[in-house]
Amino acid sequence: MFRFLFKREHQVEQLIYGYLDNLKMVQENFLKAMNIYFERGFCEDFEFLIEQTHKLESKADDTRYEIETLMYAKALIPESRGDILGLLEAIDQIPGLFELILYMIQTQRLAVPDFLVTDIRELVSVSLQCCDLLVKEVEALFRKSEEIRSLVATIDNNESHCDHIERRIITRIFDSDLDPFQKLQLKEMVIQLGEISDQTDRVSRRVHIISVKRQV
Amino acid sequence: MTALLSGIFLGWSLGYHDAANVFGSAVSSRMLKFSTAALLASAFALIGAVLEGSAGIETLAGLTHLDLRLAVVCSLGAAITVTIMTTIGLPVSTSQAAVGAIIGIGFFNRQLNMAGIGKVIACWLGTPVGAAFIAVLVYRGLGALYNRLGVNLFQSDVLLRLCLITAGSYGAYALGANNVANVTAVFVGAGFLSSLSAALIGGLSISFGCLTFSRRVAATVTRKLVRLDAFSALVVVLAGAITMHAYTFVGVPVSASQAVVGAVLGVGIVKGINTVRRRTLVNILLGWFLTPAVACSLALVMNFAVHLHYVVAR
Repeated sequence: MFRFLFKREHQVEQLIYGYLDNLKMVQENFLKAMNIYFERGFCEDFEFLIEQTHKLESKADDTRYEIETLMYAKALIPESRGDILGLLEAIDQIPGLFELILYMIQTQRLAVPDFLVTDIRELVSVSLQCCDLLVKEVEALFRKSEEIRSLVATIDNNESHCDHIERRIITRIFDSDLDPFQKLQLKEMVIQLGEISDQTDRVSRRVHIISVKRQV
Repeated sequence: MTALLSGIFLGWSLGYHDAANVFGSAVSSRMLKFSTAALLASAFALIGAVLEGSAGIETLAGLTHLDLRLAVVCSLGAAITVTIMTTIGLPVSTSQAAVGAIIGIGFFNRQLNMAGIGKVIACWLGTPVGAAFIAVLVYRGLGALYNRLGVNLFQSDVLLRLCLITAGSYGAYALGANNVANVTAVFVGAGFLSSLSAALIGGLSISFGCLTFSRRVAATVTRKLVRLDAFSALVVVLAGAITMHAYTFVGVPVSASQAVVGAVLGVGIVKGINTVRRRTLVNILLGWFLTPAVACSLALVMNFAVHLHYVVAR
C-alpha cells in the first residue's frame, strides 16, 4: 500500500536478493567445475566453467557497485548503509575465493593425487554447505526471521569440521611421497579451500551482530 | 515597532539555536534534507506559538509589572545575555535569560510574583529530570510496539525516518508553543501587545530563526547525540518534544536543549550506557545559575543606565 515510500529501499532489497542469487550461481559453477576437474581433469568444459565463474564474479562486483551507488543516494539510514556495505564487502570475498581456486588449478596445472580426491571433495562439499547456510542467514536478516542464531551455530560447526578436514588433508599431503613442490602447491590450494568456510563464518557472525544491534 | 526589535532578535536567536534540538539528529545524520528540516521547523514553530503560546505568555507577563521601557530593557538584557554567552561558548537557555532579566527588573521595582517565580524555577529543575523519565517510558513503550511490528531492515529504516520527521515537527510545534513567551511576554506585561499578537510576532521571529539555522549548528548541538542509534535518536526527539509540550500546559517556558539532554540521559538509563558526557551535565548546572544571574545583572545595569539623567553644570 505504501510502496511509494519504500521505493529506493525496495530497489536496494531487490538488488541484494539478485546479488545473493548470483552468489548461488557462482557457487554452482564452482562445484560443477571442481567435479569435472576431479572426473575428467583439464578439459574444455572445465575451461568453460572457469570462464563462467569469472563472468559471474564480475557480475557480483557490478551489482555490489550498483547497490553502493543507490545507498549513497540516501536510501536507508546511515547506520544501516554502513552495515550493509560492510556486509556485502565481506560476502564479496567468497566468489573471489571460488575464482582464485579455479585459476590456481588452471594456471599451475595442479594435479590432485587419487588418495586426496575424496577428502578434498568432502572439504568442497562442507564449505559449499556453509555458503548455502550463509545465503539463508542473510535472507533471514532482511526478512527479520528468528532463525539467524541457529544458522550461526550450524555454520560455526561446519567451519570447525572444515578446519578438521583441512588439517587431515595437509597431514596426508606431507606424509606422502609426492614431490615437495607439488606438496606446497596442494597445501596452498587446500588452505584456500578452507578459507571459504572461514570467510563464511566471519560473515555469519557479522550478520548476527547486525541483527542483535537492531533489536530495541 | 522599534521597541519590538530586541524581542524579534531574541526570537530569531531562539529559533536559530533550538531548531537544531528538534531536527539536529535527523539533519546531521543526513536522514533528512537540511532545507526540508528548516521549513518544517519554521512552519510548526509558528503554528505552535499561535495555537498554544498564550499560557506561557501569561505566566511570564504576570511575574512583575512592566512599562514599555522596562519591557525593552528586559528583552534586550535577555537577548544580549544569549548572544554573549553563545559567542564565548557558555551554555545558555533563552528561557532562563528571559526570566533572569524579568527578575532583575522586578527586583528593581520591588514587585516580584514570588509564587510565579517559584513555579518557573521548579519547572527548570524538572525539565531534564522529566525528560529523562519520559524518555524511559517512550523507549519502553515504543520499543515494545516496534518489536511487535516485526518489520524488516528496509521497512524499519523508512519507518524510523518518517517517525523522526513527525517527532521533529511535533518538537518544533512544542518549541514554538513553549518558548514564544520568552520572546514577547514582556511586551504583553507592559500592555503593548495582546497575547495573540505577541504569540504571532514571537512565533514569526522564532520561525525566521528556524529557517536560518545551519547544518553546522545542527552538528554542534547534536554532538551529544552521535553515539545514539536511529531508534534512540527518535526517542530523544519525541521525549524532548513531549516534555516541552507538557510544560506548555503548565504555562512555563523551559529550555529545549536541557530537555534533549535529559532525554539522552533517559535513553542511557534504559540501555545501561553512559550517553551524556559529565561535562554536558556540569554545563546544565552552570546554565541554571549563570544564565539568569547574567541576564538579571545586565537588566539591572541597563535599567540603571536608562534612568540616568544628564545634569547641566551651572
